[in-house]
Amino acid sequence: MPPIPTRAITIAGFAVAVAAMIVLEILARRPGSRIPTVGQWFGYLMRPKIGRALVLVGWWWLGWHYFAR
Amino acid sequence: MATNPARAQSDHPGRWRQVARPRRPAHLALLALIFTGLAVYAWLAAAAAPFSRGALMGVVIPGAVLGLIAFGRPPERIPPPAEMDMIGMSYWVICLAAFFEWEASAWRDNSWPWHPSFTNLLDPLLGPHLIKTLAILVWMLAGWALVRR
Repeated sequence: MPPIPTRAITIAGFAVAVAAMIVLEILARRPGSRIPTVGQWFGYLMRPKIGRALVLVGWWWLGWHYFAR
Repeated sequence: MATNPARAQSDHPGRWRQVARPRRPAHLALLALIFTGLAVYAWLAAAAAPFSRGALMGVVIPGAVLGLIAFGRPPERIPPPAEMDMIGMSYWVICLAAFFEWEASAWRDNSWPWHPSFTNLLDPLLGPHLIKTLAILVWMLAGWALVRR
């Protein structure tokens, strides 16, 4: 199988997943929406101290992964 | 009839957050100064070569500062929702699961360039200094947003 179509499918898969998350965030910000915003579910996850620590470690890991390597 | 604005806001958790606090000029100047400092820091951090000590310190310092603020002197936090709508949350879980499954399959296959991982795709985009500077700035601001949660 030629490599280009496989690569294009992979990129399309990522694009669809990211676009779906952007659409969800927009829908979540509509009045009366049942869908939580990113901020709301992060806030919910960060209620206990361990959740707060894990989310911040995840944030730091993203920075290290993309900017230090 | 007067209504309690806090109650009205909590009744509509999906609304855009209203910024009601007045901003004084001194406060705005301080914000501008902090933002400029962060932008300069991001510019310097983005100039460090990958895998160098400078690049590592570029992410260690913001992590340490935000860690100290988060656990030492936490700022006024945005109240989290008391409970989560599981059906609404399930949409996020489906999207995140799909994304990470796609990423995991790329990582397992290790077949760049046919099935690149998200990192493989993002790394070349972060090549230009200005783009990397903006990305680091967004990363630091996202960290601050998380500390406020």
